[in-house]
Amino acid sequence: MIFEVLERSLQQPNRVIPVEALLGNCDGSRMPDVTSARLTPAIAQRLVEVCPTTAFSMGELGDRPCLKLSYAECIGCGRCEEPSEGAVVTAPRFTWCGLPKANLARLWDLESHTEITPPRPNPEMVRGQIRSLFGKALNIRQLDAGSCNGCEAEISALTNPYYDLERFGIHFVASPKHADMLLVTGPVTRNMAEAVKTTYEAVPSPKLVVAVGACGCSGGIFAGSHAVVGGVDAVIPVDGYIPGCPPTPAMLMTGILEVLRRRTVR
Amino acid sequence: MNENTPGAVPSGERGSGGPPLVLPRGKTESVARLVTVFGSLGSDREKRVHYVFDVGEAKYWETMVAASGPVRSIVPELPSAAWYERELHDQYGIEITGHPDLRPLVFHENWPEGVHPMVDAVNQVPWASREYRFLTVQGDGVAEVAVGPVHAGIIEPGHFRFSVVGDTVLHLELRHFYTHKGTEKLFEGSLVNAGAMIAESVSGDNCFAHAIAYSQAVENACRAEVPPRASAIRLIGLELERLVSHISDLGGLCTDVGFSVAAAYATRIKEFLLRASADCSGTRYWRGIAVPGGLRFDLESRKILGLSQAVSLAARQFADLARVILETPSIQNRFETAGVVSPEVARDLAVVGPVARASGIDLDVRRDHPYGHYKSAQFEVPVTHYGDVMARAKIRIKEAAISARLIQQIASALPIGSVLAPLELDGEMHGSSAVESPRGELYYWLEGSDGRLTRCHIKSPSFQNWPAMPFAIADNIIADFPLINKSFNLSYSGCDR
Ligand code: SF4
Ligand code: SF4
Repeated sequence: MIFEVLERSLQQPNRVIPVEALLGNCDGSRMPDVTSARLTPAIAQRLVEVCPTTAFSMGELGDRPCLKLSYAECIGCGRCEEPSEGAVVTAPRFTWCGLPKANLARLWDLESHTEITPPRPNPEMVRGQIRSLFGKALNIRQLDAGSCNGCEAEISALTNPYYDLERFGIHFVASPKHADMLLVTGPVTRNMAEAVKTTYEAVPSPKLVVAVGACGCSGGIFAGSHAVVGGVDAVIPVDGYIPGCPPTPAMLMTGILEVLRRRTVR
Repeated sequence: MNENTPGAVPSGERGSGGPPLVLPRGKTESVARLVTVFGSLGSDREKRVHYVFDVGEAKYWETMVAASGPVRSIVPELPSAAWYERELHDQYGIEITGHPDLRPLVFHENWPEGVHPMVDAVNQVPWASREYRFLTVQGDGVAEVAVGPVHAGIIEPGHFRFSVVGDTVLHLELRHFYTHKGTEKLFEGSLVNAGAMIAESVSGDNCFAHAIAYSQAVENACRAEVPPRASAIRLIGLELERLVSHISDLGGLCTDVGFSVAAAYATRIKEFLLRASADCSGTRYWRGIAVPGGLRFDLESRKILGLSQAVSLAARQFADLARVILETPSIQNRFETAGVVSPEVARDLAVVGPVARASGIDLDVRRDHPYGHYKSAQFEVPVTHYGDVMARAKIRIKEAAISARLIQQIASALPIGSVLAPLELDGEMHGSSAVESPRGELYYWLEGSDGRLTRCHIKSPSFQNWPAMPFAIADNIIADFPLINKSFNLSYSGCDR
């Protein structure tokens, strides 16, 4: 009976994970990180070959060879670790969530063994700014543009007692008309392209769009299929991207808060 | 290939064209259970149609007909073939004679007529605007309610068109395939090892079952033996996926009747398991672990024992929660007699998984077509009657307990040794395999040559079960649709692929 369930719930310890422990956490996502010092041209070449998407690619900066890692394409498959001789490891922390697309790519100069990715805002400052967002309301409308449902499963988890997104004043709403933010998963399929545009138009301005998962960021493993149009930005403008396949609830939360931070603190 | 099974019956003389297909009989002397129908291209690019049946033996029965011309529909004998034949028509442009409804299934208004992705070039397909005719139900006071493709909640897209009188549903027409991603075509040309990653993205919440079904099909094709440790760990992953899925479903059912405390409790147990899973395997849903030949890497025995302890705790809490939920009068009131799938409908539409077992169909791939570590594992297969929401809930509750026991049993006696067997990928390959996923029978069929795939077909339990939904909702009130839909727990992406 209902009281018995209540009683059991009350006997449980509080499971809520503090926000400090969530921001930047990526346990269970297997997103890759690169140790610059161990990178050689030969290893870089192997990474490009083994990567099932185009996440790793070779580029040039001036006349110097460089390695590029685009998190928008990465499906976290872990296949780049084996041939990397320790140059690629599972990232212990991951803060590339909620950023604009240009900031999702990292570059390494293969001659000087250094990362040449532009500097990012100080994490302490970011954390402070994020804390100042709490208490304001944000309504999110989730939109599945053709996902495999893995991303949906993780988005649903945001409302469980461990993540409790509602504590930040963030709610999932049923109608796009009530939404401030569209959280869009999946590659946009041909059959969903129209509905995605209509839903976007139904959200009142100003609106935020967040593309979720490798599929939402770039089409992921489905990029190039005849039945898929592409990532979310192939159809509607996107403010921030949350990589991962699927991104974990902690990564989703980090990304949502980061998009909100950038919108609020200008 | 076996067209001369004793007891086979010809499919009758209907329409014109095509050699008559011989339908096999099953154990019970009626026509055997249809598993799947799909197309492929022969080496001369000639179209072929494959039919797979379960005839009550461990091995599936497979036959093939050439389809250079029209092919006779088997729908008059086997209504469960209806969507498969429509898909064949869409994907291969194969004419099917005698099919009652050949409207496009997979492709929507935007897809030009006459373009069939599995045979035609599809790199630059123009946008079209074709017409789609919904069935109309006529009569006094009949109203139409159209829902979707975008739904109010964190769920996948699909379109439902209800014809109602007052609150009561007369008819539901499904229009799906909004999440169609051309997945079967994506396999073509893919490296055999990379195929596992595509399989994992067919239906994300059952990704491990897909990865295993795919891997086993390759292993069968190459006659590879998976090392015992790998198959034991695979079983643990598969049962964990079932456990998580069933816990999530019962929570979802509670959400749909407004019992939010119980729903929140179920999500807590689920999250506890996903976190334990990440601790053990490095991923919450066991993505990127299975590959043809075994596993990509070994999992530490110590961590597997940790997972097994977490499972035991979660299973105890879930059993306790489930008992309380089922004793709640308002739950009984909503669950009982809602969304009945009769045994006749279940048989005619060849439904699988918990939906079948809740309607008295005794079917489980793990027992009937044993694979991997299930060949030696001991477990029961619960079956019940009534076919309502309550029956489906009870089946899931029982199965969750059995999954937990299996995990503990296997984790306590893990074989040692390697987890990956080498594969001989040279030359032509041809293989198939089935897995009992949390939603039921999942079947992969593939062909390849020299380490690359030329064709991969996926029979997903959701594709099979969706057509039963309109029968379950008929005569119910429309407000019960979310509950009934949840009790089926079908994947849109798994169906649409
Ligand atoms: S983890 Fe990402 S970068 Fe590494 S191989 Fe997989 S997709 Fe490529
Ligand atoms: S990113 Fe991964 S989990 Fe998300 S929809 Fe795509 S394949 Fe599924």
